[in-house]
Amino acid sequence: MNILITGISKGLGLETSELLLKNGCTVYGISRTKTEELNELMLKYPNELKWLQYDLGDIERIRQIIFKDWIGLNTPIHGLVNNAAIAYDDIITNLNLDLLEKMYRVNVFAPMMLTKFVIRQMLIHKESCSIVHLSSISVHTGYKGLSMYASTKGALEAFSKNTAREWGEIGVRSNCLVAGFMETEMSSALSDNQKNRIYQRTSLKKPVDLNSVAETILFLVSNKAKSITGQNIHVDNGTI
Amino acid sequence: METKLLEIINTVLENRTNEKLTSLRPDMNLRYDIGFDSLDLAELTVRIEAEYDIDIFEEGIVNTIGEIFEKLNRK
Ligand SMILES: NC(=O)c1ccc[n+]([C@@H]2O[C@H](COP(=O)([O-])OP(=O)(O)OC[C@H]3O[C@@H](n4cnc5c(N)ncnc54)[C@H](OP(=O)(O)O)[C@@H]3O)[C@@H](O)[C@H]2O)c1
Repeated sequence: MNILITGISKGLGLETSELLLKNGCTVYGISRTKTEELNELMLKYPNELKWLQYDLGDIERIRQIIFKDWIGLNTPIHGLVNNAAIAYDDIITNLNLDLLEKMYRVNVFAPMMLTKFVIRQMLIHKESCSIVHLSSISVHTGYKGLSMYASTKGALEAFSKNTAREWGEIGVRSNCLVAGFMETEMSSALSDNQKNRIYQRTSLKKPVDLNSVAETILFLVSNKAKSITGQNIHVDNGTI
Repeated sequence: METKLLEIINTVLENRTNEKLTSLRPDMNLRYDIGFDSLDLAELTVRIEAEYDIDIFEEGIVNTIGEIFEKLNRK
């Protein structure tokens, strides 16, 4: 299986890429930087892991650079994992339009354009394809300071459900993985006190395990999930 | 170009029927004469783009074979 995944330099994207590779997938991974950990993974899987340095804020060149020049129109894509995202957090009265637009480009517009071109590629190859968007529990449970960020993930959830409806008959599945709070760079700015308050809102009272999220992504892109589409799958330690 | 386009259209037609077209006329309507639905038209667009690097639907709806020829000739 050929899987296109964004944001593989660290955090969940790195963890998921490693798991996909271990399970025999060929991974087409994108990020702006090559971290030490990513470099190690590339050395371990020199043929199966293909990496492109690309800034997903540059939406206009996605088709040319990612699909024509890098992956190539002749390569079928069996899975798309929209994982890269940025979190611009602030209270609404401080909302800055430039920062909001930048976040929407990376978190919403780029995943939508990637979906467009993955489906187009799929129309040529006629092989089934599974799309997974990374969403966040903040869509379903409000957190102070996350309104703008959560709105980008809410947009993806709506997009995903409609993608499933529109393209299901030709074999496209689309689901969202709704992740709870994970300890990655994205959440590193929070104080211990803030983190503890977040954990207290979950049933399991601790951060969400990255590997558990990665395993669920692997499941969703695999054939084992062939009857699952249009869903939001929560991996959030039971935030209820 | 006409034989290539005919070949592409017949590939997309295979989705729903075994009957192939033997020739194309400019006045043929993609939906009503050939029987394409919106998903077939999407596939047609992608196959034409893969061959000619032109997105025929980029600037609006295309209805007939003649309009496709026009777009391809403009290149
Ligand atoms: N952490 C959490 O608590 C949490 C909770 C719920 C949902 N999520 C979601 O889970 C996903 C993964 O988050 P994470 O915690 O692993 O975040 P992270 O540690 O900050 O990693 C984000 C990844 O995205 C890449 N990226 C960011 N902007 C990019 C751009 N413009 N172009 C290309 N790549 C870009 C980064 O690579 P470069 O910097 O090298 O470009 C990095 O590899 C995100 O969608 C996030 O919203 C996270």
